[in-house]
Amino acid sequence: MPLKNGHTQPHTSASSWRWALLGLALLIAFLLPWPLSPLWIRIATEVIMWAGLAQSWNIIGGYTGYLSFGHGAFFGVGAYMTGIVMLHLGWPFALGILISGIAAALMAVIIGYPTLRLRGAYFAIATWAFGEMIRQIATILEITGGAFGMQLPAYLNLPFFYYLFLLVTGLTYLTTYLLLERSPFGYKLLAIREHEEAAEMVGVDTVIIKIKAFALSAFFPGVLGGIYAYWVTYIHPDSVLGAQLTDFMVVMAFLGGIGSLWGPFLGAVVVQLVNRVLWLVWGEGTFYLVIIGAAICAVVLFIPSGIIGLLQSRIFLPGTAWKEIRKKVKW
Amino acid sequence: MLIDGLLIGGLIIVVGIGFSLCFGVMHIVDFAVGEWVMLGAYTGFILVRYFGHDPMIYLPLVFLIFCALGWAIYPLIYRAVSGKRHNPVLMGLVFTFGLSILAKGGALSVWGYHIQSITTWLSGKSLALGPLTIPALRFSGFLFGILITLLLMLFLYKTRLGITIRATAQDREMANLLGTDVRKVGALVYSLYAGVTGMSGILIGALFSIHAAMGVKYCTLAFFVVVLAGMGYVPGVIIAGLILGLLQSFVGVYIGGRYNLVALFMVMYGVLLITPKGILRRGI
Amino acid sequence: MLLQSHDLTKSFGGLVAVNQLSLKVEKGTILGIIGPNGSGKTTFFNLITGMLPSDSGKVIFNGQEITKLRPHRIARLGVGRTFQIPAPFSKMTVLENVMVSAFLHTSSMKTAKKKAEEVLKKVDLDEKADFQVLNVTLEDRKRLELARALAIEPILLLLDEVMSGLTPVEVKSAINLIKQMHRQGLTIIVVEHVMDVILSLCDRVAVLDYRRKIAEDTPQKIVNHPEVIRAYLGERYRARG
Repeated sequence: MPLKNGHTQPHTSASSWRWALLGLALLIAFLLPWPLSPLWIRIATEVIMWAGLAQSWNIIGGYTGYLSFGHGAFFGVGAYMTGIVMLHLGWPFALGILISGIAAALMAVIIGYPTLRLRGAYFAIATWAFGEMIRQIATILEITGGAFGMQLPAYLNLPFFYYLFLLVTGLTYLTTYLLLERSPFGYKLLAIREHEEAAEMVGVDTVIIKIKAFALSAFFPGVLGGIYAYWVTYIHPDSVLGAQLTDFMVVMAFLGGIGSLWGPFLGAVVVQLVNRVLWLVWGEGTFYLVIIGAAICAVVLFIPSGIIGLLQSRIFLPGTAWKEIRKKVKW
Repeated sequence: MLIDGLLIGGLIIVVGIGFSLCFGVMHIVDFAVGEWVMLGAYTGFILVRYFGHDPMIYLPLVFLIFCALGWAIYPLIYRAVSGKRHNPVLMGLVFTFGLSILAKGGALSVWGYHIQSITTWLSGKSLALGPLTIPALRFSGFLFGILITLLLMLFLYKTRLGITIRATAQDREMANLLGTDVRKVGALVYSLYAGVTGMSGILIGALFSIHAAMGVKYCTLAFFVVVLAGMGYVPGVIIAGLILGLLQSFVGVYIGGRYNLVALFMVMYGVLLITPKGILRRGI
Repeated sequence: MLLQSHDLTKSFGGLVAVNQLSLKVEKGTILGIIGPNGSGKTTFFNLITGMLPSDSGKVIFNGQEITKLRPHRIARLGVGRTFQIPAPFSKMTVLENVMVSAFLHTSSMKTAKKKAEEVLKKVDLDEKADFQVLNVTLEDRKRLELARALAIEPILLLLDEVMSGLTPVEVKSAINLIKQMHRQGLTIIVVEHVMDVILSLCDRVAVLDYRRKIAEDTPQKIVNHPEVIRAYLGERYRARG
């Protein structure tokens, strides 16, 4: 992949290996629900949802270099939008999630327009405050059910949701691959991240490109939020707009490796599995916040390139493993 | 009502100044600012519970404790924003974001969701100023705010060290070339900021209430003040803090307290849209 | 007249960086701008390219006023520039850097790649096309700056101290490169500290001192201009003039 940092690999064999691996992974993902118990199907569904959310965050945070600390708001807006569309308007679910995605993207445009023109710090602050505001609005409004939330019509069909999440998350990755790794749009985004002024000097309309990226990164969480609402059937401000949503997206993307195609996926698998195992062992608690916080700090301090950065170096060749790890892990 | 707003503004100014200074000197947006307030409040609460006395006498002690904490954490922050990191500002943001989650999670795990309060000898008393009656605690909070602000201003504008700090804020490269140890200045600013913010936590805790998730609120307020003031422009914080206090009281009385965040965000959005460098156009 | 600035002024805080600067550049010529550090040369470039908003004054490019346009619009009209301190897109390869510029005129990856390869060949960087920018030398980074500016197919090229930090041999090849671009019809403004470069390249030279223009003339006359000598050149160059 030409956009990756690091070494130029021998093209043909490496890339055909990759395709084979991807095919195998898809096959496994497709067959996964058969051997699993309902509990584990649930967990697998969550992992896939988070993989999609983390990738969405990665579009603006990793590829564009603008940290969105209110990304959970798009998920929540999507969840509530689908709820409202289904409950109050009586429209079908499919239309609901589409409207959710569009609503989230529109909000991103409105928030992004003033803040994306400024330095990244303003954007981070504004998105964070935006997230908090949306949560408060959801607890005030009547149409969202206030602090009590909304009860959607129940549709109990685990595999349906599993495959739907798989489809949408798959689309996030496909979009990222086609639009960000393989098209002028992606090159321009990287240019903006690496040196915004220089990008302007070569004719990149940075404002429009950034807004497009932000809208794209908000669209998918909107859709995923809509599906989530129908899946869990009961939503309330803390469950779909809580700060933990953004926290998880950030930690997953960072742990996996920001600005890379597969980093967020790896991050989501690791974080959500650990989170669920801890939950199974200890039950409900707040200690997971400590672990997440410490994990974010540790990744920033020691492996800023994430798991994917470790994998891309040649730690699997005998004899070089330790050396490569020492190189990537910054003491 | 007007007076009330101004009184609350005083404390927010203190938090805002440290936060703004942090950004000005080190280009660090400290997402953990609200958690410093929360930890300060809890420290005061614990000191009172175990050693008694009035929380006010612990102000200097808490200041010192948090200075030390800030000093201890700073090397990590410095590490996060320097060296071969690809995008230092971004890394700093994420690192302090992680710190805030860590602190919040820690507090929740230790103290749970209970709401605590600190009582001081001023609690419940009030002052008669002509036709007005002002709660004594609010007034002392305001006085405290003004005092600390004045001290900080004196320090920044009249002492050698303060001038070095401002010079570093203006041009880091140049200050570095002229022999300023930018890292040391950063450590100093960060520990000063942590100390002042932690100390304000006691008063904030006494004025309102203490709980593990209270940081969010003060983080929002600090952000708001700093965006309004122009990021990194310290004097603007004073005006912005007063505006914030007024706005909060106004919204509280006429629209309803639960719309507070919404109103704050709308104003912030407007400011970013119209005059992104703050109402005085002096931010960076 | 390809580029004209009228009374262009910019100040930072209370400090005036460019004071009522009026300059003209004729199509197909090379204008040199010299002046001591802090005399406003780079600020002038930033004003023309829209990177900084001016306080007052006008910039007219190719018959169109561009004073208030955003930078990317100005780039699209055909103004390319290089940065004094190279500002590459670090986590990309040399080729990808230039492709970003090429996307200004095409949205096809293939065409952009071909175009970028052509430009890299022009600046003698084609062999390092697949290198990560982090692994190339300063000279190559300066060439990359040039390549990136050329790939937007500019009419006017602004070169900000492309020679600084280069060895004499490298300077020579850079001069040849600029001359070659000039022959192909580009109009160029060169900001430079190295006087020899200005003398051997430029049709006209403007001298800035303390934010204002103190002289503008042919290189021959500039080196004998009494105020210029006093302010900037020193005695050494008069003998040659």
